[in-house]
Amino acid sequence: MNCDDVIRAIPLYHYGELEPEVEEGVEDHVESCDSCRAALARQKALAVALDRHELAPPPELLAECRHELVRAIYREETPAVRRNASDPWGLFREAFRSMWHPGIRFAQPAGAVALVTLGFFAARFFPSISDQAPDAIVSSIRSVQPDNTGRVQIALDETRRRVISGRVEDQNIRRLLLAAAREQDNPGVRVESVGLLKDQCTSPDTRAVMLERLQNDPNPGVRLKALEGLKTFATDPEVRRTLAQVLLKDQNAGVRIQVIDLLITRQDAATAGVLQTLIGKEDNNYVRMRCQNALRDMNASVGTF
Amino acid sequence: MLQDAAGAANARAVSKVDEAAVIRAVQGGDQDAFERLVRTYDQSVLRLAMNLLRSPEDARDVYQEAFLRVYRNIHTFRFDCSFHTWLYRIVTNICLDHLRKRKVRREEAAVIDTADGPVDRMDSFEEEGPHADPERRMWNNQLSGRIESALAGLTPRERMVFELRHYQGMRLRAIGDVLGTSEEAAKNCLFRATQKMRTVLGDLI
Repeated sequence: MNCDDVIRAIPLYHYGELEPEVEEGVEDHVESCDSCRAALARQKALAVALDRHELAPPPELLAECRHELVRAIYREETPAVRRNASDPWGLFREAFRSMWHPGIRFAQPAGAVALVTLGFFAARFFPSISDQAPDAIVSSIRSVQPDNTGRVQIALDETRRRVISGRVEDQNIRRLLLAAAREQDNPGVRVESVGLLKDQCTSPDTRAVMLERLQNDPNPGVRLKALEGLKTFATDPEVRRTLAQVLLKDQNAGVRIQVIDLLITRQDAATAGVLQTLIGKEDNNYVRMRCQNALRDMNASVGTF
Repeated sequence: MLQDAAGAANARAVSKVDEAAVIRAVQGGDQDAFERLVRTYDQSVLRLAMNLLRSPEDARDVYQEAFLRVYRNIHTFRFDCSFHTWLYRIVTNICLDHLRKRKVRREEAAVIDTADGPVDRMDSFEEEGPHADPERRMWNNQLSGRIESALAGLTPRERMVFELRHYQGMRLRAIGDVLGTSEEAAKNCLFRATQKMRTVLGDLI
């Protein structure tokens, strides 16, 4: 190889893109040629300078891009990938994400889907609530019985889907949401319903459902939504009693932290007693620290005597 | 060593199988699988766009457009090339469009006027490498400006080949696949790109 060949080959040599025999030729030549060796050194220096010039996108930009992509996908009118509207876990994940990432507008489509799902409750509890035509009928076959005449008798169950829409303040909608908040098989519907009802806690029946969900719902997302609704009633004696019980028995540290925040809005002996009891059995360091801080603020001792 | 190499090859093969399963799930409508797919590639896509276009706004546009195209067209992916190649065809096409449009309307000013005086939009993005020593910093700034001009002097295609090879570490054959050209043409592009840069940066390196 002569100098011209080597100079031409140097960029590809640097990037390891030469055939092995050509690579060897470059190495042999460079060993005995000062000017080509200098050219190779310049190539390396160029690469180092360019490495330093590389921009690393900041994590916030990546996070922003991901959020915008989610939003854009929801805006898509004819997506190739369709969300399975009947998948309760999908609904739950969606609603749960919206709790932790308020920047993402998951709640709106999830709410819409929840309303569609509420159609089932409408048919079940309020057969006359809407006279709209059903948009789907789902059947399951119970029995098939042929008779002697060549005919067949088929027994089937029908579920008629109806869509109800209205404002949350509307009494019928609220009653549906209260029923949906207890829907056993669908945590997504419960999260969405409790989330929609949380601003309606001035009504005693709504507050009662919130307290009941806070104590008994197996899903922490639903319990957290219920807590949000009860925030403005944190000084109500009945609410405080429930909060104290939940604090001592709830398995979810996130729920316990939220409960502590609500309880310490009133710093009394009963609250100190509950926090002291919790410290004795709490295994989560952060929750224990929150308790200790709260007790310190209340000038109460950390232990019970 | 041999065992390590075999293990790595096996891991790659498994991960290819996993990826095929994820893609099939996406084609079947699994939204979570789509999210997994995006998260596998989106950092390198954003990095490529950011380095090519040197603008966070444009990089964000490329990201959105690329993954929305994937979302809309994933059902047409038939596994006759790797997903990486398919995705990068989309991304490089969008980036090349941006670069070509920019050539037409000339390079956007990186420095913008603000109430507090002129500000370089890229100053908020840290370049990799130490800048503690003031003299070194000044030299780096000078070098950085020259590299910027050197990169701006490349054709969109040269710029793309260079970015994919130097920063993304792709082989020239794979770059040829992505750009719909031969390995030889990609080699020529890389050669021209490095020659141009060495000419512009000659006295600094």
